[in-house]
Amino acid sequence: MTQATTIWTKLDTSAFGDFIATSGWAFPTIETVHVFALVTVIGAIAIMDMRLLGWRAADVPVTTVARDTLRVTWVGFIIAAITGTMMFIGKANVYVINPYFLAKMAMLALVGLNMLYFHFVTWKNVDQWDTAAAIPTNVKVAGLVSLIFWVVIVFLGRVIGFTLGMFF
Amino acid sequence: MMDLLYEFTEWLRTTQLVELSLWIGETWLSLIIVTNFWTIPTVQTIHILFLGLAFGAVLMMNLRVMGVVGGHHSLTETSKRYMPWVRWAFLGLLVSGLLLIIGEPVRELINPIFWIKMGLIIVAIVAAVLFQRAVAGQTASSASGGLKLGAFAIIVLWLAIMAGGRWIAYAPV
Repeated sequence: MTQATTIWTKLDTSAFGDFIATSGWAFPTIETVHVFALVTVIGAIAIMDMRLLGWRAADVPVTTVARDTLRVTWVGFIIAAITGTMMFIGKANVYVINPYFLAKMAMLALVGLNMLYFHFVTWKNVDQWDTAAAIPTNVKVAGLVSLIFWVVIVFLGRVIGFTLGMFF
Repeated sequence: MMDLLYEFTEWLRTTQLVELSLWIGETWLSLIIVTNFWTIPTVQTIHILFLGLAFGAVLMMNLRVMGVVGGHHSLTETSKRYMPWVRWAFLGLLVSGLLLIIGEPVRELINPIFWIKMGLIIVAIVAAVLFQRAVAGQTASSASGGLKLGAFAIIVLWLAIMAGGRWIAYAPV
């Protein structure tokens, strides 16, 4: 019986995947950089979301807070995505059957959709609520959804570390 | 380096910390934490979230000093805006961190990297106080080269503390 080699096995058994899985320092180091990146994302996003909710810095225009936090968020997110992919390659077969990993990827997709909707629809009339005391409900919802989803994403990410290899 | 850390562990094993850890491990709170699979990941998640809040604010303040973000606010305004974030998040980090120690006392207290991390936190607190004073004396809208370097050093110090937190799991014991 011949079994087709899946793309996950190909990643696992690639030279790079093998290096991540067997090196003593590679995985912890990549994980550490992933932590640096994810706390940067969480911190910058929390500042933005709490402004959208009107909980913090109500005297600072939304566009100003966005300008300050957006670059920081993207730099953090790109580094988190790269390091996350590196960890995945080391044990692709184990990750793809882990329900918490799958849930985390789904949540990242949803948080991405929330962001896209906010940027391309809600943001269009930002000049109307940039400095307004009363923040429109759809703006607050975008901030709250983002905040809650990111908390869940961090939790799922942490649980992956405790459940890898528990599922077959 | 690994040998040095291992010797540190060996020394920790000769101290009263061993009995303290064993005693903490028998308290009801510790038993509750270890017998429930979800407690440690949940408390670690809370610890990371507070870390995000603290580090986000630290980044905003120090990047402002470095002139990377937030040019619309003065240095004092920026630190007035973000210092409460750091203080409250630090409280959250302290409480969640204590719970992690109570849950896994031997893993933390008999661990050289844990103590290096604690040392770095004290350095960071002292550095923050000194740096705040230096920044408070600034009236110009942009910081001097020395202050910028200090801001960069504080960010690096925070990264080192986080690295310590992650490497507690990989200490040679």
